[in-house]
Amino acid sequence: MVDQALLLLRIGVLALLYLFVWRIARTAIRDVRGSAESMILSPGHGFDALPKVEAPKPAGRLLVVASDVLPVGAAVVLDADEVLLGRDPSAAAMLEGDTFVSARHALVRARNGSPTVSDLGSTNGTFVNGERISAETALRPGDELSVGSTRMIYETGGKR
Amino acid sequence: MAAAAAGQRVSESRGLLALPARNRELGLIVLALAITTAGFAAVQLARAQEFASDPLIAAGLFAAAYLSAHIVMRAALPDADAYVLPITAVLTAIGLIEIYRISPQLARDQGVWILVGLALFIAVVVAFRNIRRLEELRYTCGALAVVLLLLTIGLGTEVNGARLWIRVAGLQIQPGEFAKILLVVFLAAYLRERREVLAAPVRQVLGIGIPALRHALPLLILSGLALVLLVAMNDLGTSLLFYVIALAMIYVATGRLLYVGAGLGLFALGAAAALQVAPQVQGRIDGWLNPWVDEQAQCCYQITQSIYTIADGGVLGAGFGRGLILNSSGDTIIPFAQTDFIFSVIANELGLVGVTAVILLYLLLAWRGFRIATTADDGFSKLLAAGLATAVAFQAFVIVGGILRLLPLTGLTLPFVSYGGSSVTANFAIAALLLCVSQRANRERA
Repeated sequence: MVDQALLLLRIGVLALLYLFVWRIARTAIRDVRGSAESMILSPGHGFDALPKVEAPKPAGRLLVVASDVLPVGAAVVLDADEVLLGRDPSAAAMLEGDTFVSARHALVRARNGSPTVSDLGSTNGTFVNGERISAETALRPGDELSVGSTRMIYETGGKR
Repeated sequence: MAAAAAGQRVSESRGLLALPARNRELGLIVLALAITTAGFAAVQLARAQEFASDPLIAAGLFAAAYLSAHIVMRAALPDADAYVLPITAVLTAIGLIEIYRISPQLARDQGVWILVGLALFIAVVVAFRNIRRLEELRYTCGALAVVLLLLTIGLGTEVNGARLWIRVAGLQIQPGEFAKILLVVFLAAYLRERREVLAAPVRQVLGIGIPALRHALPLLILSGLALVLLVAMNDLGTSLLFYVIALAMIYVATGRLLYVGAGLGLFALGAAAALQVAPQVQGRIDGWLNPWVDEQAQCCYQITQSIYTIADGGVLGAGFGRGLILNSSGDTIIPFAQTDFIFSVIANELGLVGVTAVILLYLLLAWRGFRIATTADDGFSKLLAAGLATAVAFQAFVIVGGILRLLPLTGLTLPFVSYGGSSVTANFAIAALLLCVSQRANRERA
């Protein structure tokens, strides 16, 4: 009688113990499938920093291959949603001194990593691969973009 | 701020009964109490061969204490983690049952310590409900940690070779258990301030960014301190525990493995050197590597008896009250089984299946701790939770590793399970702090 009771208690305790472990462990499975957060604090993270918005990857850059006003080999990095080309001081690619360029000449939209270029009603036009564009035109890697005397090749990647 | 205020309003309006996390906690505590009652009844039945009311009274007291802690949680930390408290309940219950198996007198003492521990748990929960208050006490905590460690080295009594205890008013206290928590609090506050300079490399050597030497100085001081502890306390486990906690927190602060690698390398070099000057450490190492040379010798008797005891348990164990734990005169076969070798006693009576469950419980506790660190939204809380989780998990690892001869044997206790007032109360304080961090993180998310 005592032996049976002891056997029962022993099995009961082990079963309850594993039931307990299982009830907690199954939430661990949910956790693993869920978010991939980290407890590592690296500089700029954590306490005082505001929730950091992940910096967008640059969509690429425009490498200058010929220009009267920009050094050859310079690059216009497409790291903003909209990159303005023109003589205007607010333009990201400032082409001051090139009389064939309008103040607000062309706009490169670099959203989602696939940039497009549109002419903003410039006097002398914007050219992609030698053809004057009239509508928003997609840029593919290797395409040549011409604004005034400046010719630039679009390439992906590039450091910010 | 707005989110916090909104969370506050929600938690006030939904009252004390409709708290999903707390209800889950209650369900698991009830399960833990069922384990406790069945275990006590089994040991008592095996001893007296008939049912008596004693174990029910003991289990009732245990239940009352845990349910009080749970009620305080409902009021003070409504959104905190649901699993930490029940896991501690099962661990303390298993420990208490096996201590009761060894000696009802020891179990009575341990029962009192569990009540004191839960009282401390409640006090910490109430006092540091706003965990940021603790950050203001960082220098107090750091100074107290150093004082406690110096006291241990200066006034400590040697038990079983290691100098980890001091005697105060008839009680044996293990100050290292409390110093550990205070050190984690201090390091969390310190590293939150300094992590940026620690993380930023100033020059490259072989493609690895090396931080400025003066910022690495605290790391060198810490490794020096750990080695002093090693020699002064004659205990590899304690010094390794303190050092690993610090390294883990530095890693969490900087995300740089370089510190971990360099730190462990430094410790290994230092420990090798310490072995040359401190022959008593060498004794521990010999007892670890080859205890069979002389089973009766002081170095090896404890560990060899423990191995026999574990082997005797087999896969399913001898059953509660049926294991070969005590000799004919009523003493434990393994000296100091209730503190150092409680794991072997569990292995004997519950077998491989039982100790696997215990190890799983530590794994779950560590996972909850690191999960809390992950969800915490400020640097201090993250570091604190990660440090405390490391402390419990690594301590369990070191002592179980020592018993299974993966590591040299140490004088550390198995958290929540081992007999001992310092260990039990300190671990309840750790659980309380983890839950305070968790409350803040979960409330911001709610």
